[in-house]
Amino acid sequence: MNYLLKVENLCKDNILNNITFSVEWGEMTAVMGPSGSGKSTLLYNIAGMDNPTGGRVWLGSSEITSMTEDEKASVRLHKTGFVFQQMNMMKNLSIMDNILLPAIHANKGKSGKTKKELTERAELLMKKLSVSEIAERSVKEVSGGQLQRACICRSMMNEPMILFADEPTGALNKSAAAEVMAEFEKLNSEGTTILMVTHDSKVAAACSRVLYLLDGRICGEIKLGKPVKGTERQREEKLNGWLSEMGW
Amino acid sequence: MIKKLIFNDVKNNKLMSAASVFFMTASAMLLALAVMLSADLMGAVEKSAERANIPDIMQMHTGSIDETLIKEFAESRSEVRDWQICRFLNLNNSEITLGSHSLADSTQDNGISVQGERFDYMLGMDNELPDVREGQVYVPICYRKMYELSVGDIMKIGGSELVIAGFIRDAQMNSMLASSKRFLVNAADYEKIRPRGEEEYLIEFLLTSGSDINEFSTAYAAAGLPSNGPAITKPLISMMNALSDGIMILIILLVGIAVILISILCIRFILLLQTERDRTEICTLKALGIEKSDIKRIYFSKYLMFSFCGAVIGLAAAFLLRLPLGEEIREFYGTGDNGIISCILSISAAAVAEGVILLAVWKILKKTDNMPPVEAMVSANDSERSGRRGQYLLIGFVTAICTFIMLVPQNLYTTMSAPDFVSYMGIGNSDMRIDVRMTEDIGKATERIASELETDKNVLKYSVLCTKTLTAELSDKAAVNLSVETGDHTLFPVIYSKGRYPEKENEIALSSMNAKELGLDVGSELYLTVDGEKTKYTVCGIYSDITNGGKTAKACSTAGGDSIVWSVIYVSLADGANKDGWTEHYRSLGADVTDIADYIGKTYGQTLDTVSSAAKVSAVTGAAVTAVVVMLFMRLIAEKKRGEISLQKALGFKAKDIMRSYFAKGIIPAVSGIAVGVLSANILGEMLCGAALKLLGADSFRFVIDGGRVYFILPMIIVITSASAVLTGIYPIKNVRAYECCYGKE
Repeated sequence: MNYLLKVENLCKDNILNNITFSVEWGEMTAVMGPSGSGKSTLLYNIAGMDNPTGGRVWLGSSEITSMTEDEKASVRLHKTGFVFQQMNMMKNLSIMDNILLPAIHANKGKSGKTKKELTERAELLMKKLSVSEIAERSVKEVSGGQLQRACICRSMMNEPMILFADEPTGALNKSAAAEVMAEFEKLNSEGTTILMVTHDSKVAAACSRVLYLLDGRICGEIKLGKPVKGTERQREEKLNGWLSEMGW
Repeated sequence: MIKKLIFNDVKNNKLMSAASVFFMTASAMLLALAVMLSADLMGAVEKSAERANIPDIMQMHTGSIDETLIKEFAESRSEVRDWQICRFLNLNNSEITLGSHSLADSTQDNGISVQGERFDYMLGMDNELPDVREGQVYVPICYRKMYELSVGDIMKIGGSELVIAGFIRDAQMNSMLASSKRFLVNAADYEKIRPRGEEEYLIEFLLTSGSDINEFSTAYAAAGLPSNGPAITKPLISMMNALSDGIMILIILLVGIAVILISILCIRFILLLQTERDRTEICTLKALGIEKSDIKRIYFSKYLMFSFCGAVIGLAAAFLLRLPLGEEIREFYGTGDNGIISCILSISAAAVAEGVILLAVWKILKKTDNMPPVEAMVSANDSERSGRRGQYLLIGFVTAICTFIMLVPQNLYTTMSAPDFVSYMGIGNSDMRIDVRMTEDIGKATERIASELETDKNVLKYSVLCTKTLTAELSDKAAVNLSVETGDHTLFPVIYSKGRYPEKENEIALSSMNAKELGLDVGSELYLTVDGEKTKYTVCGIYSDITNGGKTAKACSTAGGDSIVWSVIYVSLADGANKDGWTEHYRSLGADVTDIADYIGKTYGQTLDTVSSAAKVSAVTGAAVTAVVVMLFMRLIAEKKRGEISLQKALGFKAKDIMRSYFAKGIIPAVSGIAVGVLSANILGEMLCGAALKLLGADSFRFVIDGGRVYFILPMIIVITSASAVLTGIYPIKNVRAYECCYGKE
């Protein structure tokens, strides 16, 4: 199989218990579960931000769990992108600078891209995600939806192999959440692999696959297939039906 | 990008940034200033001594002299590079008038001298050798300010008049701590005035480098050469010259080190607060994959920029302050050759000050290594929960250090200006001092004054002490010359660090410097040669003395009345005695009468002024640092606890109640710190000053404490300053809104 991410018997204290699953290239996967089920902990351990107490994680051919902290940092910078629930932008930088920050850092040295090239890429991404007009604004001067889209731009700057998202719509209102999800779908349709944690079935319904986590274990999964325009309602109903079966 | 981050961070945190730069500037300035002035002082003293070519050892002698014997001795010693005999005409102070001021009250032995032939030069203000013409005089520089003199004024000696043609730096006797002052005159004028004074000989030797001055001095005494007077060595002159300005530098250095310590504490606090506040951002950067060393570099770059600004501003301020603070150094010793070295040293000092602070910054930043990236997901407000215990201790540390730097110079000033301070000068606490020096027969003159005192109803008690230069032989047969003050030492006792005053015949007390140099202690024995006869003496006590190079001795009596070099009579007056009338009466008998308080003022006036200024500057610095640090600290705490305060308000607490609780949290450590500061200033400060004064021969140093100032006024100033600072710092609590804990700050 063509796996991009492979998780094997992942454990973290008493929160995660022998989690095993994999994500294919180009997939958009959601992890759902009630509060305290370990969704976010799973994401942090897979993304190399936290250290699991057992099990292994591979990203492509590299085993993340055996890496040093600096190696993990390098993977986070060059190979993965992360979208936070609270956006977490540097308040002392403009939106554009925030987007550029990891890219400039990743391209330090002679062989890296020039600042001009990076700025062009940032402008392209911002145009794609419809946030060009906020480029020079400060973090405090934009709406939540705009900020989250800018955060997605930042996570995409280094052309990551996979995009992790932790409750990306958790801090947004309904219309902003819809805008952000539309962008995720667009990115996924262009080939970006996405793994997100959410408790919103509407958001999860936009994914091709949903894993259900309960008490630190994966209790089930449902494949919804690639989203097709006009089928959103059916997908959501299908997912909700499955979730009630799972005890949601 | 880093530049933008720093710029915006500074813009959004003006208070923290300004405080950081302020502390870095103050540290750099004080350390650079202390180093710069030290280098200037040392360079100027060294250049002045080199240009003046001062002798390695100078033996003063009153009485007849046989030059041939000295020449034979000098030629027999391989370490003698050169030697000469200078003449010093000791004048009666009451016969000297400088401009419109009579020197009758002067505590110095004033006299005239001609320029040294081959060395021991008195230098002009450009360190040149003045060309003194007939009818002209060059006056010691220390008298210029004291008597408001200028070139063209007239100096009168009895009936002779001399025009002041300039001022001289006398490398040997510049300091007011040196008891004699030389006026430079033309040889013809010297001869004209000669009958009016008593001639003293200054037998001077230049030794090859590395020679043992003590060994030479012992050989000189053993050879039985003229030694009716004190012997002064080159290191002693350098020490006396450097003392008054040295104290100022020492205080600046102490305050500088204290400020560096406070700066580190404050910057540490600011940085910890900032990294805690920026915890989410730091963790986000880590989550984005930015390495921890790069994250530290971002913060470090900001402090590097601050320290650069601090060093530049601090150095500029130090260079500006160098002019007024170094004025006295330049006037007394001229300028040294080490201007570039002084600059390099001061830049290095500023760099060291900043380096020490940056090292502390880097150490604190290492704490960010342990912040896990996963914390990026935790709400920023949660970091408030991780408030460190004991953070208010910083206020205590700061007030303790500030109290210390306020009180130590104050205590030093009170001690030096107290009447008991004369004890450290080897003399007891009395009202008046009568010196009998320039007469044909000092013994007889002393007896005449003593018999007058005996019947004087204004006199409560008096003690006649005659100083003789005697040759002492130690147990290893080595011979040295000792200035022995003989008489009754029980009436006006000095402070004895060991043993007691001599009360029996054949007992001798030694100054601590003499005891140390001769390797003698209480109970040791030595032989004094009096009128050719050796007599055994036992050391009964060791006392402090910072006069005559700190090398004196005291005994009950010795025979040989005609070998008296000078005599001093200490007098305590009865209550209600007319001091002025009494002084006039004894002056009319030909005695040199001095009010002890006046004597101290004149001898130590310069040093006292410096210490007094330093005490004032330290008090202002201490209060200012307390105000800034405490206010800043409380402001930061209030900012850090904003969420908590908002929650308290949401729960129904009144602003007044919250402020009261924060006021208590701030003022309690402040007051505790002040108490610790008072104690340490009195105990640790005494030890520090004692160690410094020990170098000058003052043992068993004890602070004289002005209770009112030390235990009430100054602590109250810091308490009031701290209380005002705490109130100002927590004032923004009023503006915190109850809804902020729910929605965040708008």
